[in-house]
This record gives sequence, structure tokens and C-alpha cells, in this order.
Amino acid sequence: MIVEHLELIDIRNYETATFELRPGTTVVLGDNGHGKTNLAEALAYLATLSSFRGVPSDALVRLGADRGVIRATIRDDDGRQSLIEAELTVGGRNRVQVNRQRLPRVRDLLGTMRVTVFSPDDLVIVKGGPGDRRRFLDDTLVALAVKYDAIRLEVDRVVKQRNTVLKSAKSSSTNHGDLGITLDVWDSKLSDVGGRLAHARATLVDRLGPMVQQAYRDLAGTATDIELGYVAPWRDVGLETALAHARDHDMRRGVTSVGPHRDDLTVVIDQMPSRTHASQGEQRTLALSLRLAAHRLVTERTDSAPVLVLDDVLSELDRGRAGALLDHLPAGQVVITSATDVPGRVDHTVRIVDGQLA
Amino acid sequence: MVSAYTPPVQTLIDELGRLPGIGPKSAQRIAFHLLKLPSADVARLAHAINDAKDKVRFCERCFNVAEGALCPICADDRRDATVVCVVEESRDIVALERTGEFRGRYHVLLGAMNPLEGIGPEQLKIRELLTRIDAEGITEVILCTNPNTEGEVTAMYLARQLQPLGLTVTRIASGLPVGGDLEYADELTLGRALEGRRPVDDG
Repeated sequence: MIVEHLELIDIRNYETATFELRPGTTVVLGDNGHGKTNLAEALAYLATLSSFRGVPSDALVRLGADRGVIRATIRDDDGRQSLIEAELTVGGRNRVQVNRQRLPRVRDLLGTMRVTVFSPDDLVIVKGGPGDRRRFLDDTLVALAVKYDAIRLEVDRVVKQRNTVLKSAKSSSTNHGDLGITLDVWDSKLSDVGGRLAHARATLVDRLGPMVQQAYRDLAGTATDIELGYVAPWRDVGLETALAHARDHDMRRGVTSVGPHRDDLTVVIDQMPSRTHASQGEQRTLALSLRLAAHRLVTERTDSAPVLVLDDVLSELDRGRAGALLDHLPAGQVVITSATDVPGRVDHTVRIVDGQLA
Repeated sequence: MVSAYTPPVQTLIDELGRLPGIGPKSAQRIAFHLLKLPSADVARLAHAINDAKDKVRFCERCFNVAEGALCPICADDRRDATVVCVVEESRDIVALERTGEFRGRYHVLLGAMNPLEGIGPEQLKIRELLTRIDAEGITEVILCTNPNTEGEVTAMYLARQLQPLGLTVTRIASGLPVGGDLEYADELTLGRALEGRRPVDDG
């Protein structure tokens, strides 16, 4: 799938702007603060319906405007063109259309357009907390199959509901027999949806492992040993049993202490945990390798390459690794944003000055 | 924030905004629409609200909306008293009645378990359902709560409470809409429909 045309109206620092993108590699050049990341963010929004900067969609609307529009023409591998539009309203409901047909729910757009973004913020996958790593896994799962979006949302919701029951149990003098059954059924629901999510994540981690290793070798040019692991101690006994064991503890604390919302991904580099023992450069290369591996897996499984966006990533890497990254770019459409000229093969260059095409 | 409207208008907007499905913008639009209407039209609406609130109450047996002590379904003795269909809201009864497939009685829970909104089993008409079982000689309960997280959990809770009483407890199936195309079904619905597949009858 490729994006042929991207139009922004009242998005971030863009009043109106239209970009023509080509197959192959497009470089978007511009000084810092002129809207390169905003362009990448808007493109990725159509794919994930969220900002990779972790802000609500309101934040994408240009300051002073009450709504913004992101419009893209995409062409899939068999040549079919579609027009995708998202209208973002400040403090209101967003709307999405495909070929001028409004979709009943905004989330129905997921899976229509697929984009992988590499950004300097990806460093949190290695350096950040378990939540950052779970988000990486879940985003990858959604890119593989849209149903995981509903599953991850349901897990969040069930955990919140169960926590509320636990908190109310601490304060009220409800009949404890009934409370036991209430917790039993929430446990059973969490174990059902949570078990499915964790199983999918663990399978994903197994598949990613060798691909991350390969990506790291390509970038660093050294035979570094990398191992991924999905950490979910409860999976030995099953979630329902683990929740039952934790119940007294959870009731005292008023929170659910085991489950997929507490799991983690470990990345071990040469037998050392990367979060605490790898150098900054190794951590950056690892984060990039994780994204690259996820991108390759999605390409392989869905038989079609998502658009790859490298947002200001090259400046963070040393010359050798930046060159290796460009040499090992997977097939498909690539958009690179940069403040300086990009070495290597470039098919098309776009210059941005102050939210305008220059 | 200081209100831009005179107090009666702001109060009207606030009250409308508390209704389900009405956001601040809709509340504003409805309020100004009402202010533009002739007094007689507004009075008719106000009367309809008050009249419904005065005359309509919940059925003593099943908590469906009713004009008398019992709703029309509970008052109809041609209906099968041994089978009860449990729903979240009265409006679900209307939907089920349109099918013409069900000849038993109903029980309205008046909601589903939703701790985040302060609704636990005690806030629902569950105890009332349990007392109906023996009193009315009920032998089968069909759990027709919504196929969403809260509805499923409520159905599981009811099943846990009802099964020890030695009844037949069934859960409404979930799957594909009739007349629809597989292509347009969402993954979760289609997945459920596959899980709940049945052997094809010979006859």
C-alpha cells in the first residue's frame, strides 16, 4: 500500500497544505519547528487513530481552529485507490470517511491504511516503563489484526471495573458472599479476554525475537546476541487461578496486581538487561531494531508493506548506523523527515518552511 | 466558568445535558429550539413528561413499564409462566416481542453490572428475580443481557446464582445479523459466530 497524496487543513502548524508522495523513498526536509513531525503524526493518525506523541486528537487541530481535516489518497497493491478523510473536532466527535462514505464508528477505519513510524520517542520502548513496552506490543498486534484493538480496550475496561469492585469492597459492608461471586465473574471475564491478549503478545514476542536480532546485526554490523521475553508469571497457573491467589492482597490494595496490564517485555542484549545495562547508542539501535522487526513481521503476515515513516531518526544515529539503516530499508514506500540532506537513494524531495511547501 | 446565559436558560441547558446521549452542544440546541416554540407546544411536551411520569410505573412482578400494578405481559395468562427471559431494560422487551418467538414472561434488571457507574448486583433487580423462581414455578431462565462486557458479566453472575437452584439456564446466542454479508461482519462477531457454530440439520 502507498500514500499518493496527503492534504492537511488546520492540522498543527498547517493551515492548508498538500503533499504529493511517490512510491519509493521521499525525503521531507525542513528546519526544526517547521512541521516535519506534524506531517508524520498526521499520516500515522489515519493508520492508528491516535497520535504517536501520546496526546489526544484535539491536540492535532491547529490552535485557534475548531476542526481540522486530514485527507489521504492511498493505492493498495492491486492498484485500487481510496480516499480517506478524518475530521477532528475540538471537544466534539471526530468523523472518518472512506471514499466519501462516513464510517459508523471512527475505529472502523483501523486496518484501512497502515503506517509504521520510527521516531526518537521510540527510545521509551527500551528505556521506559513496562507500559511503553506493552503499548509497542499491542500496537503491533493491532497492525497485524484489527480485532486486537477491541481486545486491548476490553482488557483495560475489565481491569478498571474489577478495581472499582475491589475499592468498593474496602469501603462498604456489602454481603461478602455476593461480593465473592461478583469478583468471581469479573475474574472470569478478565481471565478470558486477558488470557487471549497475553497469549497473542507472547506469540508475537517469540516471532519478533529472531527478527530483532537480525535487524540489530544489520544496523550495528556486529554479532550481538539479543533475546526477547514476555514476562507474565501468572501464565504458569492461568489467570483465573492467579487472580484468586491475589484476591486478598488485591482487596487490601484496591487494585488488580496480576494480569496482562502488569506484564512486561524484556530485551536482553549480550546477557544483560538492555533497559539498565545498554549504552544510549545501543538502546537507540535496539528500539529501531524492534520497530524494524515489527514492520517486517506485519509486512510478511499481511502480504503488504505498510508505509514506513522515519521521523527525524537519522540525526540520532552515528553515520555508520544511519547509513546501515538506509541500506537495509525494507521494500515499500518510505517517508524520511530530516533537517539535513539524507545520503543514499532518494526518489523525491519535499521542502517545508513554516507549515508551507517551499 | 461564568455562564453566558441568563440563569433560566442555563438551568434548562444543564437539565437537558443530564439526559442520556445528549452532550453540551445538543443540550444547547434543544434548549434554544424549545425557547422558539409556541407556548402551547412547550406545554404539551411538559405535560407529556409529567403525565408519563405520573401514570407509568414499574410492573410489580417483572419491572417492565406498566400502567397498572402488572405490565400487559405479566397480566396475560396465556403466556408461559415457566420460562423467563431476563433483559437489562424495558426497551429490550419491545425488541424481543417484535420477534414473536417468545411466549414466556420477562424480568427487567433495570441495568447491568457496571462498577464504574456504581451499579453492582444490589442495584439491579436480581434478588427479585430469585424470589420469583419458586413463587412462579419457573423452570427455565434465558439470559438476554447485551453481548458487551457488562452484559456478559451480568449474565455470568446470574448463571452463578441460578444454577444451584436446579433450573435450565441458557444464554442468548450471539452471531451474524440475518440478511447481512460475512464480508462486512466485524472480526469479533464473526469469531463468536464461528465458536457458536451448529451441525446442519438433516431435515
